[in-house]
Amino acid sequence: MDFQLTEEQTMIYEYGAKLAQTYDRTYWLEQAKEGKYLDEMWLQMGQDGFLGLMVEEKYGGAGLGIFELALLMEGMANAGIATLMLLAGPAMFITPIAKHGTPEQRAFYLPDACAGKTRSAFMITEPDAGTNSMRIKTFAKRDGDGFLLNGSKMFITGADIADHALLVARTTPLDQVTRKTEGFTLFLLDMKSAGIQMTPIEISITAPEKQYMVYFDNVKLGPEHVLGEVDKGFQLLFDSLNPERILIAGMNTGFGRYALDKAVEYANERKIFDAPIGAYQGVQHPLAIAKTEIELASLMMRKAAWMFDQGIDCGGESNMAKYAAAEAAIKAVDAAIQTHGGNGFTKEYGIFDLYPLVRLSRTAPINREVVLSYIGEHVMGLPRSY
Amino acid sequence: MKILVAVKRVLDYNVKARVKADKSGVDLSNVKMSMNPFDEIAVEEALRIKEAGKADEVVVVSIGVSQCQETIRTALAMGADRGILVETDQEIEPLAVAKILKAVAEKESPQLAILGKQAIDDDSNVTGQMLAALMDCAQATFASKVEVGDGKVDVTREIDGGLQTLSLSLPAVITTDLRLNEPRYAKLPNIMKAKKKPLDVIPVADLGVDIAPRLKTLKVEEPPERSAGVMVESVAELVDKLKNEAKVI
Repeated sequence: MDFQLTEEQTMIYEYGAKLAQTYDRTYWLEQAKEGKYLDEMWLQMGQDGFLGLMVEEKYGGAGLGIFELALLMEGMANAGIATLMLLAGPAMFITPIAKHGTPEQRAFYLPDACAGKTRSAFMITEPDAGTNSMRIKTFAKRDGDGFLLNGSKMFITGADIADHALLVARTTPLDQVTRKTEGFTLFLLDMKSAGIQMTPIEISITAPEKQYMVYFDNVKLGPEHVLGEVDKGFQLLFDSLNPERILIAGMNTGFGRYALDKAVEYANERKIFDAPIGAYQGVQHPLAIAKTEIELASLMMRKAAWMFDQGIDCGGESNMAKYAAAEAAIKAVDAAIQTHGGNGFTKEYGIFDLYPLVRLSRTAPINREVVLSYIGEHVMGLPRSY
Repeated sequence: MKILVAVKRVLDYNVKARVKADKSGVDLSNVKMSMNPFDEIAVEEALRIKEAGKADEVVVVSIGVSQCQETIRTALAMGADRGILVETDQEIEPLAVAKILKAVAEKESPQLAILGKQAIDDDSNVTGQMLAALMDCAQATFASKVEVGDGKVDVTREIDGGLQTLSLSLPAVITTDLRLNEPRYAKLPNIMKAKKKPLDVIPVADLGVDIAPRLKTLKVEEPPERSAGVMVESVAELVDKLKNEAKVI
């Protein structure tokens, strides 16, 4: 067994720190607070070739795997500058098109998406279909050789800054399919299509990406907008869900490390009596526990990513990594806040700003309880709980 | 024209150096190591000269343990053409570094050697100068601007009180100052290309250079801690303290 990253992987992992020399945490926070996205940083990542990381070389990518994409995400989060658009872009849009798209679709979407000139959103969640995706109501009705799309999607990250979206819709109603995973189709949606409206959902999280309700009113879709086969979208979707958990894990282990680095710096400097407060076990041990749990979660994330790239089923490991990373990051940020005392809540130190996003990760994109149910049922053989 | 760039693997500049318990040196176990920042500037400058069409090959050389290959690979990912590691586990002092580089230069015959003005670990700031002396060629240290001409190179140096511009005939040795350029970081396609670029590993013994140490480290200590400042109530008190306590006015 070999835990050593290759030279390439090391450079990919360290890219976040290099990128942060230009686009640092202060930039990230300022953009977030002004309600702006990280446009310049995203374009830079595209120019530097990182958005097409998982795209095969013959389509202009680097031909690497989710392992390297997770290293990129974790490395950026280590520097405090991770972005959720890495999920919606490279993991949930670019890679599925590279894998399952027609030659025309690849030629149309990939060059600009990989270059960072276009961005994408991922649309699955609905007001009545969050954890239970089978209940999706957004429907694309056959209309000539194309479709008419009606319905709505909720909690769509970055819908306002996306040029395209990968959208999950039913094309056959639930009561007409033999298996409830059938009848779903993946569509490549142009966000400028007539009939799309969106409204922001105000959330209490400091992040450069905003959340949207998106409504579809007779949006016209052609056969060229179908990714994969009609009614068989769910199988393709499964390809994206484990990477999503893996990347969320990487974002959390990274943000956790970033918080702990700040806490260690502060605890080594800050003196209330004689010694720096880092000498107190009441300060030191919560940080040490959090560090241990972050590194454990990071190991599981790497294992899950490695398995995914090897084509081994990684459902259990991806869920464990996501669970462990979210919990570890919450603990790490909490310990960092406590270490900073009152300064943990100031805008100047920006430590509390980390909390809402890592806390979100206990709930989204999939909540802790569903993750635990998956592990209980599928990994441990316990009865199905819902 | 061929450019030789020397790169050193050092403690990352973000890492707080810790002294070993026995005071024999800085603890390098389990800490992040990176390319010396001044050497990154040297690599960048060589690449810019090449991209301007004034050089056709950039060769990166490092001296030290096997892991120095990572440092070389970083330079290759930035865009350098090939690498040479002169491998040794021994501690190599600046004079020995200069002798090894001279031996490499004799094989490679570069027209230009670009080095960082100093490494951030020992701050010696002598290797470039020694190399130029050993090669018996022109040198320009602390370069803030480099312009390659026909058979010569003009180098602007940051010196006390202003800028000095030297015109050197080639071959020459240049050492880089901080403001020469802003080094690029490796883009993914270049990271992918880097592993296919040649990297030769030469055991130091093969060069037949005397690398025996001339210096002995007696002890390495942390710098003394700065004591806390004092808040003064008024300007009068400040003036009084400067006059009578610090005796500076």
